[in-house]
Amino acid sequence: MSVRHALLALLSEGPKYGLQLRQEFEARTGEVWPLNVGQVYTTLQRLERDGLVESEDAADEGPQKGFHITEHGEVELTKWLRTPPDFSSPPRDELVIKVLVAFELPGVDVHDLVQVHRRYLVELMQQWTRLKEDESRFDLHFALVVDAELFRLDSLIRWLDTVDGRLKRAAAGVSVPAPQSFPLPKARRKVGAPE
Amino acid sequence: MSVGVLERPATGSAPEPTTGGIPARRAMTRWAWRLFKREWRQQLLILLLVIVAVAAVVVGAAVATNTPPPANAGYGTAGDLATFTSSGKQPLHLQSVVAQIAALEHRFGTVQAIENETFNIPGSTQTYQLRSQNPHGPYGGPMLQLLSGHYPTGSNEIALTPGLASELNLRVGDIWPQGGKTVVGLVQNPQSLLDEFALVAPGQVTHPTTVNVLFDAPGVNPGRIGSNVYTPAQNGNANPINPDTIVLALATVGMLLIALVSVGGFTVLAQRRLRSLGMLESMGATDRNVRLVLRANGVIVGAAGALFGFALGLVAWLAYRPHNEQSAHHLIPIFALPWTVIVVAMVLAVVATFVAAGHPARAITRVPVVAALAGRPAPPRQIHRSFVPGVIALVIGFFMFTASGAAGSSGVIWLIPGFIALIAGIILMAPFFLALLARVGRKAPIAIRLALRDLSRYRARSGSALSAISVGVLIAVVICAVAIARYSNVYDYVGPNLASNELAVWSPNGQNGNNPNPSAPTLQELQSQEASVHSIASAVGANDVAELYNPAPSVGLQNPSGSGRQWDGQIYVATPALLRAYAINPLSIPSDVDVLSSRPGLSGSGVQVTYGGGGGKGGGQLVGPGSGDSGGSGGPGPGNTNTCSPEGCIAHPVVQEESQLPTGTDAPNTVITESALRRLHLAGDSSLDGWIIQAKSPITSAQVTNTQALAATNNLSVESKNDAPTSHEIVNWATVFAIALALGILAMSIGLIRSETASELRTLTATGASSRTRRTLTAVTAGGLAFLGALLGTVAAYVGLAGWFYSNSLEGGLSDIIDHIPWNNLILIVIAMPAVAMIVGWVLAGRDPTTISARPME
Amino acid sequence: MSYLELRDISKVYGEGAAEVRALQRVDLSVDAGSLVAVMGASGSGKSTLLTIAGSLEDPTSGEVYVGGRALSSLSRNGKAQLRRQSIGYVFQDYNLLAGLSAVENVSLPLELDGVAARKAQSAAMESLDDFGLKERASHYPDQLSGGERQRVAIARAVVGGRQLLLADEPSGALDSTNAEAVMRLILVACHRGMAAVVVTHDAQLASWADRVIFLRDGRIVDQTLPVDSPEAMLTKLPNQ
Repeated sequence: MSVRHALLALLSEGPKYGLQLRQEFEARTGEVWPLNVGQVYTTLQRLERDGLVESEDAADEGPQKGFHITEHGEVELTKWLRTPPDFSSPPRDELVIKVLVAFELPGVDVHDLVQVHRRYLVELMQQWTRLKEDESRFDLHFALVVDAELFRLDSLIRWLDTVDGRLKRAAAGVSVPAPQSFPLPKARRKVGAPE
Repeated sequence: MSVGVLERPATGSAPEPTTGGIPARRAMTRWAWRLFKREWRQQLLILLLVIVAVAAVVVGAAVATNTPPPANAGYGTAGDLATFTSSGKQPLHLQSVVAQIAALEHRFGTVQAIENETFNIPGSTQTYQLRSQNPHGPYGGPMLQLLSGHYPTGSNEIALTPGLASELNLRVGDIWPQGGKTVVGLVQNPQSLLDEFALVAPGQVTHPTTVNVLFDAPGVNPGRIGSNVYTPAQNGNANPINPDTIVLALATVGMLLIALVSVGGFTVLAQRRLRSLGMLESMGATDRNVRLVLRANGVIVGAAGALFGFALGLVAWLAYRPHNEQSAHHLIPIFALPWTVIVVAMVLAVVATFVAAGHPARAITRVPVVAALAGRPAPPRQIHRSFVPGVIALVIGFFMFTASGAAGSSGVIWLIPGFIALIAGIILMAPFFLALLARVGRKAPIAIRLALRDLSRYRARSGSALSAISVGVLIAVVICAVAIARYSNVYDYVGPNLASNELAVWSPNGQNGNNPNPSAPTLQELQSQEASVHSIASAVGANDVAELYNPAPSVGLQNPSGSGRQWDGQIYVATPALLRAYAINPLSIPSDVDVLSSRPGLSGSGVQVTYGGGGGKGGGQLVGPGSGDSGGSGGPGPGNTNTCSPEGCIAHPVVQEESQLPTGTDAPNTVITESALRRLHLAGDSSLDGWIIQAKSPITSAQVTNTQALAATNNLSVESKNDAPTSHEIVNWATVFAIALALGILAMSIGLIRSETASELRTLTATGASSRTRRTLTAVTAGGLAFLGALLGTVAAYVGLAGWFYSNSLEGGLSDIIDHIPWNNLILIVIAMPAVAMIVGWVLAGRDPTTISARPME
Repeated sequence: MSYLELRDISKVYGEGAAEVRALQRVDLSVDAGSLVAVMGASGSGKSTLLTIAGSLEDPTSGEVYVGGRALSSLSRNGKAQLRRQSIGYVFQDYNLLAGLSAVENVSLPLELDGVAARKAQSAAMESLDDFGLKERASHYPDQLSGGERQRVAIARAVVGGRQLLLADEPSGALDSTNAEAVMRLILVACHRGMAAVVVTHDAQLASWADRVIFLRDGRIVDQTLPVDSPEAMLTKLPNQ
């Protein structure tokens, strides 16, 4: 989460005070990510240093100090919005590592392990879903954030389901013969650009 | 939920489960009705079958019951009729008649007398009645109708029938030539349009030849009142096989066919609704509710078909009624329909579809709910493939037909269970043969194998279609074989009386003449008759007139066997003129030939010539012991032969078959040669019976009417071709019927059968099957069903026929049908029809399945 | 008190080599007013669990109690009556009878139970109104969208005060927005006191349930603990 660019985006709507920026940030992210005032001002100082924002007449430091976006800042914001996050290399996901480790360890029932994690994930999802249930506080920003989290957890559960399935097939001795003329690439973990 | 408490017929805790009662049944029926409205197109073929069948019953029954004269013809509304007729030249003794009428009136109350005096139409042999009838009399109303003008009232007025008026060239307002009466109106007898009369006011007929007295004597035996008293009941209803019964029997067979065909249709329908029905069960519908949906659908189809069929039949009848009045010679009231027959037929239609829908309804409730919900039909049940029950049914059919044949004309009763047994045999054997077909095709290419296996697997559809085709073929083959056998009987010859370009003119002095006591005509009469005959000939554009002579004393032919059908037909003398008329060279006939005949097979039949009183029983036109069709009296055994005494019979005459001779039953189809007459010392004693006229082209009915007028002047009578069908007509129509029926059944069944495997077909297409595969599948399905149906129907038909001919004394035994198999027609039915079915299937199955993946919203 | 109770349920299909043990010694109880989700891979026996719970199939062994009544003690007609009066089904697709309008579809179970058509229809109308489908009442299934169809199906499953709702992948054919709407309706029905079982392989659907049962190879292998209060979630939010 780039607080830096979020603040830039808020300022692109017009000049704002520091406190106002914090309130609007929390509102727009569905109050899922709380932000302290210090964080706001540190970020604003860095932005000012980089010439992306300018403070209105450097009169009074403090919550009443106003900021506005510079031309350079606008360019930076547009560039950031259109630059996709780096998904090219798999994150060092702890769940994946745990399951991979469990495969190697003797005496560990991977099905059980998978189920433990699956249950935990479903419980988490249940809690997120509970939040959706109360529609009165369920505005669009909040919904999008909750959905994103649900889909993320869901994708992990699906991965666990697949682990189960592969394990079952391996146990049953089913293997799909790999076509000889089409060897698997060796550098499988480096599909995209390196970190 | 918000709706917590609702009235229920019973509380949920009741130990005995409740059914939904009337609301549930109503809901199911409503749904069935909606489905019918949505999907009537899928049921269109069943619907059309019912509509056509019911419409045919309406028209057929209406024509059949209305064509004979009405039962009360001549009676009006009265229950009894006393006739007083003058005998010979003696006029009626009026005082006595008046006294008897008074006696009747005294005894039974109201009477109505109608006096008739017979007159000849001037310049004609035809007669008319001068009639006095009170138009407002108590009973005579139905016998008198005013067409125009008014009824005669005074002694100076008269009304005529249209026929008489045109005969005499009179119109309303003209003066009646005899007696100076004025024609004041046109009248007719609605009960008999042939009744030509001139109506005068009551009391104006002074010298009646006939007096009819109408009165009502309910419950009194007419014979007790007098020998001249009749009731309408004496005329009709003597025959148990009246037209109604025949129409009803045909309707029953038709509905049976419909039931057979629609089983397949309803099965597919049930299959298509499988998931809906599973849904219904998951909602808590009982088995009975589920069955009700399908049965209600059947009833709706049947009822809709019956109603539309009735409407269609009514319209057709109304359109045909005027023609029927013309040919039946009496007026027919618009709604003079045999309501009982129609209502029974409509009920039968509903019953047939109800029964047909009931079969899949029972099957569907055996499918587990979970399978139904998944749209998985129950696996086809192990087919009962035994051959035995079918054979047993056929054997029963055989014996029923045997019993029918042995019982002669009263054996019709046995034919009904006989046909039912044969049809049951067909239905029972169908699965066996389908399985056999699948086994035969086991090594065939995939498309053929698949088609044949599906036929065997999905028996409900293919079995019913197969049975329906077989039953159609069965009926047609029976008609063909019987017609061929009957028509090929050389002794009792049937067929049209004459060819369409032939006209027979009968002398009043001959055997076919008008004169009941023929005597030799005077030379003058003969010349006058010949002049008439030649004017008749020129009226039809013919110059070929041959005289027909009867040998005298008469000569006959006889069947050497006393059993079986006996000789029927006139023997004429083969005069040179007659031979010339039929382009036969007299020199081509050896002098030892006795008889020439166009009847095929006569020369080898062992026929004998009788003359001068020789032969079986009396000479001449021989009437054998088993005469006519009533051969049931004890059944003549094989030892029963007709006598052939040497002094009056030639046991082994020389018969030459001459195809040039005409084939009509009243034409000279069999003639005796002059040389034979000489040998029998009968030459020179021939008598003129009539003339045969051959026109160059078929004679129109207008020409016939014209010639009848010409003939009337000399008391001659003219005979033209009647409506009797030839054997070819019967056989060909029966064949066309069988083929059309079979193809029609196939047209609707193939769609049904293939729809079962439509998903398979989609899969096939998806896996790259060409249209050729689809074509082969459909063609093999159609061809296989058609061939099997035709074969099964033919075999069943011959099983029944063998039984009937085996025991029927009138026919020539088993050999009669074995020798006269209509090969051409059988080949058409068994080989050509399946071939056509295959070709049509091949051509029509080429289209790509429209939806590969989509499942239609159900 | 549990409205639906499965005790030691086993279900075996086929015989010999083709034998499939769809369910093995499954115990499950569902309280009135609670929503239980059953999760499992395909072939885990979750659909069989539902059909057995809903009396559409008989278990090979074990006993099912619905509202305190043992299903094995009921005749075929008795089960049909139980389904009419107490159990509502919702399936993945194909839920409505073609040829009947939405309101007629909803009123059908009532009519099957002997409620006069007019009363059944007005009850159905209320049920549809609850689900915001009043103006679609006279539409036929093929005139409704997939989501609407499924909502009508739920209205039909709950109409007439039934107490057990069984749903098999109720949103399988729907997009996520419509799926959520369907689950909300099922939840509403639960809040009004129905016991509900939803069978699914979709964690997002299952997460609406009070309790999630995990089924593997015909056995219950795990289940979730009672859910914390939703507010607890907010404190766990990752802080960046």
